[in-house]
Amino acid sequence: MRKYTGIWPKLYVAICFAFFYLPILVTVIFSFNSSKSLSRFTGFSLRWYSSLLNNGEVVSAVYVSVTIAILATVISTVLGTMTAIGLSRSRRVLRDAILSMNDIPILNPDIVTAIGWMLLFSSLGFQKGYMTMLLSHVAFCTPYVITSVYPKVRSLDPNLANAAMDLGATPYQALTKIILPMIRPGIFAGVLLSFTMSFDDFVISYFVSGNGVKNISIVVYNMTKRINPTINALSTIVIAVIAVILILMNIMPKLGISISDRQKNRRVIAVALVVVLALVLVSWLGKMSTGQAEKRELRVYNAGEYVDPELLTRFEEEYNCTVIYETFESNEMMYTKLLAGDKYDLLIPSDYMIERLIREDYLQPVDWSLISNREALNPDVLNQAYDPGNVYSVPYFWGNVGILYDTTVVDEADLADGWDLLMNEKYAGNLYMYDSERDSFMIALKALGYSMNTHDEGEIREAYEWLLRQRDTMNPIYAGDDVIDNMISGNKALAVVYSGDGAYIMAENEDLGYFAPEEGTNLWYDAVVITKDCQNMELAHEYIDFFLQEDVAYANTLYVGYSSPVQSVYETMQAEDYAGLDAYVPRVGHPGDEVFHYQETEVKKLFAELWTKVKAK
Amino acid sequence: MRHFRHLKTPYLIWCVIFILVPLALIAIYAFTNAGNEVKTLNFTLNNFIRIYEPTYIRVFIKSLELGVLTTLICLLAGYPLAYIIAKCPESSQDMLIMAVTVPTWINMLLRTYAWMNLLSDNGIINGMLGLLGIDPVSMMYTNFSVLVGMVCNFMPFMIIPIHTSLRKMDYSLIEAAMDLGANPFQTFRKVVLKLSMPGVINGVVMVSLMAISSFVIPKLLGGGQYVLIGNLIEQQFVSVGDWNFGSAVSLILAVLILLAMHFMKKMDVQVAG
Repeated sequence: MRKYTGIWPKLYVAICFAFFYLPILVTVIFSFNSSKSLSRFTGFSLRWYSSLLNNGEVVSAVYVSVTIAILATVISTVLGTMTAIGLSRSRRVLRDAILSMNDIPILNPDIVTAIGWMLLFSSLGFQKGYMTMLLSHVAFCTPYVITSVYPKVRSLDPNLANAAMDLGATPYQALTKIILPMIRPGIFAGVLLSFTMSFDDFVISYFVSGNGVKNISIVVYNMTKRINPTINALSTIVIAVIAVILILMNIMPKLGISISDRQKNRRVIAVALVVVLALVLVSWLGKMSTGQAEKRELRVYNAGEYVDPELLTRFEEEYNCTVIYETFESNEMMYTKLLAGDKYDLLIPSDYMIERLIREDYLQPVDWSLISNREALNPDVLNQAYDPGNVYSVPYFWGNVGILYDTTVVDEADLADGWDLLMNEKYAGNLYMYDSERDSFMIALKALGYSMNTHDEGEIREAYEWLLRQRDTMNPIYAGDDVIDNMISGNKALAVVYSGDGAYIMAENEDLGYFAPEEGTNLWYDAVVITKDCQNMELAHEYIDFFLQEDVAYANTLYVGYSSPVQSVYETMQAEDYAGLDAYVPRVGHPGDEVFHYQETEVKKLFAELWTKVKAK
Repeated sequence: MRHFRHLKTPYLIWCVIFILVPLALIAIYAFTNAGNEVKTLNFTLNNFIRIYEPTYIRVFIKSLELGVLTTLICLLAGYPLAYIIAKCPESSQDMLIMAVTVPTWINMLLRTYAWMNLLSDNGIINGMLGLLGIDPVSMMYTNFSVLVGMVCNFMPFMIIPIHTSLRKMDYSLIEAAMDLGANPFQTFRKVVLKLSMPGVINGVVMVSLMAISSFVIPKLLGGGQYVLIGNLIEQQFVSVGDWNFGSAVSLILAVLILLAMHFMKKMDVQVAG
């Protein structure tokens, strides 16, 4: 048999691997970055490694990801291999039926599968958490095992097993000595696929888990708002561990420790089981040491990267309680989870969502007599239309929406155009819009002089025309939170941003300026609310009160970058840490500024449909 | 010979609970308009009629195009790699396949961020071009950047199954074909390709399914203007809250894919037979 020894195949392999490993190399390099940026390397530092070790959320996510991936792989490999062998001996009709059903989780978009299982678990009354996540991982990995193993089983000569049994082997022996060794490559492929799928899954895990159980992907996705190299540090460690294992496996034979395939398989399984057992033991010991006295529990559901994690630890220590802290990517995602019956004590949504939750009777009133720091609140952020008199909500952060511009490119005189600056052809192809239908329509409606809460279809259509015109003449990029890193690197001259993000970006890139157009803009408030499911009202109020303490609010606003509702902190930040950054100081009392109201489904559908039309040319 | 037949029974039960029941729930949503109330069912076809609209049809076509293109590139680039790996000494094959798989264990979002970083206007590649005196090339938010990200992410899922079927191939068949006067191209087409067909089909199915319904990579590397079916479905379920329309879209997608798979299987039977 001729082996390829020429230079071309080697070169080809090298190019392919360079392509696969290039992004990983970048990930590793930026884990040593001294600043938060993922695109500008400012200097060598190990700070993200130390912050990784101090981040309890990440450490527990690693535990969840690894154990779930290993357990799901083991269970689905056994289940899938059994099924594949069983199928090859079944009647055709049944076989085709099972194989078609098996394809469904693979071919459905993740989000549909996820919602399907979320509904299933809710209707069965399962408590969402580790078990539900494991069950769904087994459910979506098994089809991949079957698709890898079944072709191998099919190509197997059935007479081999028969011959073995004729010669006196028991069915079990025929299975383990004849069938399994022959389909080994298929099983190996199935193991690799399911581990990979499980380890990297986000959408399904997010919707089927709860009660504070998070895997690495969930943590990373919720960090996208303020992505920082902590997670690169984590990936670098993962890569290093895998590399060490691979090298050990590779040099063991060279050191004279020869192992057969069979032994190798057993060893791999043994190592996997030991890892799982060790992790389970560690977590169990951890629970034993912390959970001896019955501690009070508080389930908090907040946006991703919207709190300084050290403050949560401090609260737990000072009030002797456990905070089960979960995060969401958007208000709508939070609402979807509530709809599916997930239970929390405290939520931190935005204005229009609070309005909706009040209307749909999800909330209970705040007892202001328990909030000792109520006087510290800035009167400007209280008593807004979404919750008059703040019956249900205590402000957490606030801000507006404006335009971030590169002072070295954009002419100051053009700023007088207001929102129409985004229509100025001088900057065509040089701007980011925000990929959100409400914010984009807000801009168009304000530019045309209408209210951003309009229900008038004519006005909405006019705004749609404005956006179409802008798309055709300006060729904007509709970006998400990636705008933050893009603007820090100065990739484009203009961007629509939230004021808090603007302040954060400006602190990293001094060439930028921020302004809120004269025609008016969206003024927004994120606030803490107490759900009807709240089990510990006292603790919930203590949490709210804690975050209004001056030193706590200061640490929090410094970490997040958004404007604090606590008057004294807000003033200190303007005078010291964020001096000169206009974006930290949202405009107050401007006649054109409005707060979003809750939209009826029909209006919302119209906005979504028109926005899809704008984006998909 | 019915010895191992009963081995599939647990999965049959599992399928009913984890696949059929949720699918039925989705189908009920697709054919009703009763909001999110399941108690009062008002059957309707409106959700399907709404899809018949130029924008949505364009979204479907664009997703299919992107899916086909990604799959094709993965196949054309991945097959040679799988073939070369399968020709390596037995001892290093597992290692090489591991090396193909390991990158997928690094969070997909992080890898995509790394690509953004490489491809952006002030990014690493343009920085290097600048050192060579070449003007920056705008690569981000184009078809190119989306394809790079998708191919980099999905190619391992093409390579693994193809390699699995090539690995246990009997190489004396190739020699026999050559001895019998087949040229290398004929040998490849009539022997190697044919024998690796189950793996190719498996890989094509897996990659095309993932590519058609993916939305995170296109969104990050292509910008918001890259609306695909995945985005549309996600938007309906999460941000608009119109589960009925979202279910209808995903049901149509599922039917389209099932049809495509049916043809693939027919091809499989033809090739194998």
